[in-house]
Amino acid sequence: MSDKKRILVVDDEESIHLLYREEFEEEGYEVVSAMSGEEALQLFKEDPPDLVVLDINMPGMDGIEVLRQMKQMQPDIPVILSSAYPEYKQELASWASDDYIVKSFNMDELKESVKKHIARKK
Amino acid sequence: MPELRRDPIIGRWVIIAKERGKRPFDFVIEPERTKGGFCPLCPGNEATTPPEVLAYGRDAHDPNGQGWRVRVVPNKFPALIIEGDLDKRGEGIYDKMNGIGAHEVIIETPNHYETMATMDLEQLALVFRAYRDRIVDLSGDPRFQYIIIFKNKGKAAGASLEHAHSQLIALPIIPHLIQEELKGCMKYYDYRDRCVFCDIIRQERSQNIRVVCENDEFITICPFAPRSPFEMWFLPKRHYSRFVSMNDEQIKMMAELFSTTMKKLDTAIKDVPFNFMLHTAPLRENGLEYFHWHIEIMPKVTTVAGFEWGTGFYINSTPPEEAARVLKETEIS
Repeated sequence: MSDKKRILVVDDEESIHLLYREEFEEEGYEVVSAMSGEEALQLFKEDPPDLVVLDINMPGMDGIEVLRQMKQMQPDIPVILSSAYPEYKQELASWASDDYIVKSFNMDELKESVKKHIARKK
Repeated sequence: MPELRRDPIIGRWVIIAKERGKRPFDFVIEPERTKGGFCPLCPGNEATTPPEVLAYGRDAHDPNGQGWRVRVVPNKFPALIIEGDLDKRGEGIYDKMNGIGAHEVIIETPNHYETMATMDLEQLALVFRAYRDRIVDLSGDPRFQYIIIFKNKGKAAGASLEHAHSQLIALPIIPHLIQEELKGCMKYYDYRDRCVFCDIIRQERSQNIRVVCENDEFITICPFAPRSPFEMWFLPKRHYSRFVSMNDEQIKMMAELFSTTMKKLDTAIKDVPFNFMLHTAPLRENGLEYFHWHIEIMPKVTTVAGFEWGTGFYINSTPPEEAARVLKETEIS
């Protein structure tokens, strides 16, 4: 069994998965992808990851609902909201997350947050 | 025939579409499904919020633990940040400054399912005390010019969590809308040498067609030119320009009438989403003779669309006289 830390990336955009997978694998993480909220919850239940990077705006179940259900099941697993919408950051529903990163081509902020929260979970 | 009405303070026009005369049962509010589940504002989840800046009802030796009755915390992901200097500067014709401010959340009750319409008077008075005490505390920061306290209830009114809460934002500038209101009040005062709100209260009490309820210290009315059906204004009967002037006894009286107002609204239009905004004098002003603090309550039963955005006119299908009559006659338990 691999001792690599596992990140579950939840986003309905294929290009985001490709970008995040490349960047996180380069950092030594294992990446699992979910294209919808429903699929993410299924994967989360079956084999809990070490951290979740979660999009908010998805068809079907939105990220906030996914966040709520994940925190209900496993409050200690860090969830980072990653959204294209900076204005949603101040919404109180996002408080259940451990961090909120506005999507950008510059991955430094997200990578830094992932590193910090995975270290905290150890 | 529809009627155009002009607000006596800021001069805003509204169209009262009298013939449509919508009554409470015409507003069908889709009941919001109670989600329950994980809530960052509930007792037990204090660690998911930033450290509190105020809490009532719990021993001081256990900060950020359970046992509180009202709790105030900074926004976890603030739009404006508390540290730093304003550094006001220009860039050609454009003005800018650093985004300094405070954004706090007042958690009104430990009970996830309680609302301002259902909580007891002592609890509601604690909420208003928290408003007052946070304004007093933040007033000490010379960078802030204005503090707005507001509440969004229900998803349609912009609330993203169902747990009862209000919000406070301290700003380094006086918002444009407040400046317009202050200017309107000053203009009226220059002309008549009286506070416009005091005159409104006098006239409304004498006409008694737009009064919803009152006690010795406070009154709730439907304003003459309301922007939305069932809009209400809650005011102290005596002249005070600053909310922080309210003592504990007045806050008790305030809780009593505000509770009645909320109960009437919630009974007349079940589960109605609403916003309310506390308008108080700017922080650097001492008692202003021309301004009167008040709370504007805006039920969210209609949508603001192109005509309203384009003209600043609002179309209201319920005359305030009809709204006040319905609310006055609404029996509450």
